[in-house]
Amino acid sequence: MTIQEIMERTGLKDYSLAKAYINDAVHLLQSTSADTVKVSYSNITVASDGDDNQYDLPADLISLKSISVKDTQDSKYKKVKRLVNSPTVAEDTSPST
Amino acid sequence: MSVDTDRTYFFEFKGKKVVLWKLVESASTDTVGSYRVRLPDSYYKNQLIYPDEAITNGLRFEYTALSKVFVEEDPQSTVDSSLTEATSPSEESHVNLNRMRSLAVVDYIKAQINETKGDFQMKEYYMREFYKKIGDSESNMRNISINFPVSPFSVK
Repeated sequence: MTIQEIMERTGLKDYSLAKAYINDAVHLLQSTSADTVKVSYSNITVASDGDDNQYDLPADLISLKSISVKDTQDSKYKKVKRLVNSPTVAEDTSPST
Repeated sequence: MSVDTDRTYFFEFKGKKVVLWKLVESASTDTVGSYRVRLPDSYYKNQLIYPDEAITNGLRFEYTALSKVFVEEDPQSTVDSSLTEATSPSEESHVNLNRMRSLAVVDYIKAQINETKGDFQMKEYYMREFYKKIGDSESNMRNISINFPVSPFSVK
């Protein structure tokens, strides 16, 4: 469906507003169901500092489907589980021990 | 070498960050000569440690995102991978959704227009229609067909 057809069906005259509403609608749609699924990768590093096991989420993320870690033995990404309870450490000043 | 990562790695969220942990069954060790020995006061147990191995592209995120929202071609006429993103969309650009989801977008916009007018009853009506059409579109992907034998008798 074209933007023009959507504008005609809704009676909207303002093109910019129509485009903004369409973006919002697609955003909401991607939030409740998956229309376009993307994949991104991050390097896992060996910790040398207290927050080195923290990784950024993708900037354009709307809804997370899964997180996987590469099994280097058979070169496959395997889904990892979320911790139910956080470890008791609030701040780690010596991650190597 | 990372092995059985589905059993040995775990994550948790800390705000916008993902915190990665590795589960190991070990005790504190030290190296004496060329031998790795367990320290006498240390006991063997499950421990969560920081990932102890660098893995290039080791962490994989699968997620939904806004991607190719507006395209040049009609998404109903060609496959998704052949669609060209409209970088400067015009009124003739297509919304990259199937027919049912495009109709859901129409309902969403009608809901927003009614909200602006202050007509919340109509807004709720159109939002319900929006979610109904998304639901229809989802269930179209997961049709379950159940067949029953037709009774030979018209009157039971």
